[in-house]
Amino acid sequence: MTRRLRHLAAAAFALTGLLIVTSPASAFESPNNPSSGGLVEEPKSWDGKTIRFEGEAVGEAMVRGESAWLHLNDDAYMYKNVEEGAPLEGYNAGMPVWLPAKLARRVRVFGDYKHEGDVVRVTGIFHAACGEHGGDMDIHARELEVVLPGRAVADPVVPWKLDLALVLTVGAVSAIAFDRSARRRERVGNARTRR
Amino acid sequence: MIVRPRRDDHLVIGKYTGKVLVGVGLLMVVPFVTSLVFAEWDTAVDFLISMMACFMFGFGAQAMCRTTKELGWTHGLVVASGSWIWATLIGCLPLYLSGHEGSYLDAMFDVMSGYTTTGLYLLQDLDHISHGLNMWRHVLTYAGGQGIVVIALTFLFKGTAGAYSVYVGEGRDERLLPNVVHTARAIWLVSIAYLGAGTLALWVSALLLGQEPVRAFLHSLWVFMGAWSTGGFAPQSYNTMWYHSLPHELITSIIFIAGSFNFALHWAVWTGRRREIVRNVETVSFAVTLTLFVLVATFWLAKAGVYPDAMALFRKAFYQLASGHTTTGFSTIYSRAFVTQWGTAGLLAVTAVMGIGASACSTGGGIKGIRVGMIFKSLVAEVRRMVAPRSAVIRESYHHLRENWLEDDAVKSALMVTVLYVFMYSVAGLLGTFFGYDLPSALFEGVSAGSNTGLSCGLTSPSMPDALKCFYIVFMWLGRLEFMSVFALLGYGISIARGR
Repeated sequence: MTRRLRHLAAAAFALTGLLIVTSPASAFESPNNPSSGGLVEEPKSWDGKTIRFEGEAVGEAMVRGESAWLHLNDDAYMYKNVEEGAPLEGYNAGMPVWLPAKLARRVRVFGDYKHEGDVVRVTGIFHAACGEHGGDMDIHARELEVVLPGRAVADPVVPWKLDLALVLTVGAVSAIAFDRSARRRERVGNARTRR
Repeated sequence: MIVRPRRDDHLVIGKYTGKVLVGVGLLMVVPFVTSLVFAEWDTAVDFLISMMACFMFGFGAQAMCRTTKELGWTHGLVVASGSWIWATLIGCLPLYLSGHEGSYLDAMFDVMSGYTTTGLYLLQDLDHISHGLNMWRHVLTYAGGQGIVVIALTFLFKGTAGAYSVYVGEGRDERLLPNVVHTARAIWLVSIAYLGAGTLALWVSALLLGQEPVRAFLHSLWVFMGAWSTGGFAPQSYNTMWYHSLPHELITSIIFIAGSFNFALHWAVWTGRRREIVRNVETVSFAVTLTLFVLVATFWLAKAGVYPDAMALFRKAFYQLASGHTTTGFSTIYSRAFVTQWGTAGLLAVTAVMGIGASACSTGGGIKGIRVGMIFKSLVAEVRRMVAPRSAVIRESYHHLRENWLEDDAVKSALMVTVLYVFMYSVAGLLGTFFGYDLPSALFEGVSAGSNTGLSCGLTSPSMPDALKCFYIVFMWLGRLEFMSVFALLGYGISIARGR
C-alpha cells in the first residue's frame, strides 16, 4: 500500500512538473495597429473602417480579372524567416487583401521556402465578413506601397546532418544485410528440419 | 491469473512492428524525391536521415526478432497500437530537423496529428516551409487516413494469418473482400482512383483561381490528400481561406464527404450497388445530423448578425459544420473567429458534430454514424416496446450493406464505444479548464483532438503547456484506434510487469 502511495505521489509530482512547462509565447510586435490578431479578436470594432496594414506578401498573387488576392503576414517572420535563422515565435498571422491587379503586380517577391517576400503597406477598408466574398474577413485595398523588397533565401546543408546521414546509411545497410542473412539461416534451418 | 508473455510473443510483435517501420521509411521516398526535384537540399538530407533511421530500426527489429510464431489476436492489436507510437517517434524526425518545430514533442504532436488525420499542428512559420516538408505532412495524413498498418498489410505482409487482427487493431472491421490483404489493397485502389480524379478537379479549379501550374498542382495534390483523408492539413497557414472561392469549397466538400464514408460503402458503389448511398444507416445518420446542426448554427449566426447575407451565412455555416462532422478540419474562417464571431452556441454546434464524427471504416474519427444510427434505432425500438401489447415481438433493423437485425450485442458494443468516446471528450474538456481555458473552448479543442478533426478555436498553439500537448497526443491516438488496441497494449504491458 505504502509503495502504491509512493508511486502515486511520484506520478502526481511528475504531472505537476509537466503542467508548469510551457513554451515561451511570441515577443514579436506587429507594426500594425490593429494587427491581424487584433482584427480577428475585435472584428466588429474595425468593420468598415479604413486601415493601414503592412506585411510580407506570401505565396502568390491570385489574379482574378481586374482584381487580385494578396496575403500579407504581419507575424514574427515578416522581415526574416525561420530558414534564414529567425527564432521560432509562434504561428504565421496575416490578412487577405483584395486589390486591383495592377497594384498586385508591383509585388516582385513572394515569401516561401526560398524567398523572404516583399514587405508591402496597403490602405483599405476592413471587412469583418465581406459581402462580396462569401463572408470572408478581408481588406479591400486602394493603395499599395512596397516598403522593403524581398530577397532569395539560401538554406545550405548543415555539415553535421551529412555526417549523421552517412552514419545512419551505414547502419541501415548493415541492418538490411543482417536481416537478409537471418532469413537465409532461417530458410536453411527450416529445410533441414523438413528433411 | 495473468500470463506473462513469452519470448516468442515479444519477437513476433517486434518483427511486425519492424515491417511497419520499413513502411514508414518507404513513404518518405515521396517527400525525399520532391525535395530533390525542387532542389531543396537541406530538406532532402533531413529525409535521407529519417529514411535511414526507419530502415535501420525496421530491418534491425526484423533481423533480431526472427520467429516462426504466427500473429495472434493480441499480438495484432499490440502491433497496431505500438506501431503508431514507433512510427510517430521516428516519423517526426524530418519535421524536427527542419527547425520549424519548437521541440521534439511538438514534432511528435504534428506527426501523430497527421497519422490520425487530425490536422492540429504546432509547426511554426508554415508559410516558409519547403515543398518536401509540405509533401511529408500531406503524405502522412493521406497514409494515416488509409491506416499505416493497411499500408504495411498491402505491401509488406506476405501471409494473412493474424493479419486481420492488425487490421482490426487500427480501428477497422470491414472486410471488403474475403482476404484481408486483398481488402487493404482494395482500400488503396479506391483511394488512389479518387486521388487522380480529385487532384485533377482541384488543379483545374486552382488554375482558374490564378495559381501558376506547378504551384497549382502541388496545392491540389496536398488539398486532396488533406480532404480525402479528412486530415485537414493545408499547404498555407490560412487553410482553405487562402483560395477565396466557392467552387474550391464545393470540390473540397465533395472530397471530404466522400472520404468520410465507409470504404465498404465505396466498394459497394464501385461494384454497382449505387442505391447503398441513400439506404445506408451511416449516410442517413450523417445527412440528418448535418442538416440539424447546420440549421442550428445558421439560426444562431443569423440571430447574431455575423454575416451580411443568406449566401455568406449558409456558405460559412455549411463548410465549417460539414468539415467538422466529417472530422476533416478544413476551415474558411480564422480559428479565433469561432470564439470572436461564432460565440458559444456556434462553438457547441461544431463541437457536437465533431464528437459524432464520420463513418466507421473510413478515414474519419469520432463516435461514428453507424453507432449513432444504431443507438437511435434501439431507442425507437424501446419506445415501440413500451407502447405495444406485451405479447408483441418488436424487432428493429438497420441497413448497412444489407438489412441487419439490431441485436442486443451490437447495441451493447456501440453503446460501450460511445460511452468511451464521451468519457474521453469530457476528460479532454475538463483538462483544458484545468489549464486555465474556458469550458466551451476547452471542450471544442478536446473534442477536436479526440475525434481527430483538427478544427481549432485558438487553444492549440506552440506555447500551450507541454502536458496538454501530451494529453492531446494520447487523445488523438485513442480516438483513431478506437480504444481497444490501445487497451490491448496496456494489458500487454501489465502482463509483462505482473504476469507469471
